[in-house]
Amino acid sequence: MSQRLITWIDQRFPLTAFIKHALTHYPTPRNLSYWWNFGFLAGFLLLLQIISGVFLAMHYKPDVDLAFDSVQHIMREVNYGWLIRYLHSTGASAFFAVIFIHMARTLYYGSYRAPRELMWWSGQVLLILLMASAFMGYLLPWGQMSFWGAQVITSLFGATPLIGDEIVLWLRGDFVVGDATLNRFFALHYLVPFFIVGMVLIHLMALHHVKSSNPSGINLADKDNIPFHPYFTAKDLFGLGVFLIIFCGFVFFAPEFFIEAANNTPANPLRTPPHIVPEWYFLPFYAILRAIPDALGGVVAMTLSILIFAAMPFLDRSRIPGGARFRPLYRVVFYIFVVDVAVLAYVGSQPPGGVIFQIDVAATVIYFAVFLTLPFYSRWEERWLRARGLPPALQALLDSDTELRPRRETRQ
Amino acid sequence: MKLRALICVLLCAASTAWAENALKDVDLDSSPAALRRGAVTVTSRCLSCHSVKYLHYRDLLKLDFSREEVMSMGNLESALLALTPAEVSEQAYGRVPPDLSLLAKAREGGPRYIYTLLTGFYQDQTGEINNHLYPGIRMPDILGWSGADSTQRAALAIQANEAAAFLMWAADPRADERKSLGYYTIAYLALLTGLLYLVKRKVWARLK
Repeated sequence: MSQRLITWIDQRFPLTAFIKHALTHYPTPRNLSYWWNFGFLAGFLLLLQIISGVFLAMHYKPDVDLAFDSVQHIMREVNYGWLIRYLHSTGASAFFAVIFIHMARTLYYGSYRAPRELMWWSGQVLLILLMASAFMGYLLPWGQMSFWGAQVITSLFGATPLIGDEIVLWLRGDFVVGDATLNRFFALHYLVPFFIVGMVLIHLMALHHVKSSNPSGINLADKDNIPFHPYFTAKDLFGLGVFLIIFCGFVFFAPEFFIEAANNTPANPLRTPPHIVPEWYFLPFYAILRAIPDALGGVVAMTLSILIFAAMPFLDRSRIPGGARFRPLYRVVFYIFVVDVAVLAYVGSQPPGGVIFQIDVAATVIYFAVFLTLPFYSRWEERWLRARGLPPALQALLDSDTELRPRRETRQ
Repeated sequence: MKLRALICVLLCAASTAWAENALKDVDLDSSPAALRRGAVTVTSRCLSCHSVKYLHYRDLLKLDFSREEVMSMGNLESALLALTPAEVSEQAYGRVPPDLSLLAKAREGGPRYIYTLLTGFYQDQTGEINNHLYPGIRMPDILGWSGADSTQRAALAIQANEAAAFLMWAADPRADERKSLGYYTIAYLALLTGLLYLVKRKVWARLK
């Protein structure tokens, strides 16, 4: 019976072919480490955010007079409303944590390189959509930090030459963040996830075309590829279990860890909080904004600090595979970059001025220098490595890669 | 490696939250009896000017008050509203006294902030009542801390402690339910993850 049903469907829809292509016959490098688990986790979090968000929207009221109360209604009166809300608010932070790790893995192992540029760029679009969605979602509880965060960030667009004020007015729908802003942010916060889902599908289609990268950085021979299912479904589900334990630790025992205390006070346009800070995942970029005293310059630098990731396939001129694994200099720079981002995040959380400003400027210079000097030191590093003789493990890998060899020989 | 960065960021964020060294250390007494006494303090003292509007009197039944006790405080179905109308308080104090429902979450340090504020009143040289934590505060010294001697203060400190504990409960009345559900959830997930690990090992054992 079930076989007949599947045959019936297969004649009309490529169900079995799809399952084969995407799961049971999808070749995956067997040497993937747990760092390759985070794409799956991001997909899980996208679903969690959409589902919990739909239930929150059933009880939430996007109105400046009702929004804060409706969140408290969810927290106190709706059955398990507190759980749904804490899943959603903790989920937002977890989403960024997972995405940052996913990006760091890509940078470390050089997974952005040919032929995976489109994956990296669709990921870049996903990051921007995620940031937009998180920023608009943060306004909805209508707390002090929601309001003032939105007020500060929307006013940044005022730095646009000539039409700055008009853009800010157009974004807010009012001269200040108000009812019009709250309503449109709610509508857009519900809309953007659909764009994210669409972009994720593109991301996955590209993945299923170029296949996963792997720690060695070169395409493995067929014998070293194993089907995604059951091997990586089993591995990813175990990883999901570990993730969920940590995640639920926050949801049940420290749910307000990621929520600013000031956001438990209703928004008051007449009282500016002494210290406005964005959510932790925006802190490094916020620090870069503040490192440049000029408003327009700051906004441009902040935008570039996010967009510059897209240039990685062009900036990295080294042809040594395996990312940081076989590239000692790149590895050092990678760790410097990670520390630098952490420093920027700390600086972004502090009140501006004095030493903090000087550290901020230095960290911002390092941030951009890492990218802008990459074309030079990556090429120099490759020459140095080749002159020294590649490590035997790497040479063996290179010799085993049939696709890479002809290209390399023509270049030498 | 970003994980380490993340942990660093989180620790930094936590450190700013706890940098409130102006706050007194207090061992919050959240026993049911203390919460009930705190509720009495808050409804009889604080409610003269402040509201606790996200609580209804019926919610106090969850603290094991008897129905009669709660009904003597107020109507079961009404919210804990201030006895003084907002306009009158605004006239008297310059602004409407803040609602206390979420105060324990809305200030860095939470209940410690409330405790420190209540026990921070003093009489300055001009005879005016002021507050160490909140200089220039308009709120009167509701517990009478500034005029109390050390034995009286010991009792008042307990009263402030219980009021802070009650307001913490008011800000997060689902905390007990959340934590107990949390233990079950984590235990379940730990078991599930252990089994998933065994599944993963068994599946991968087919590879040689």
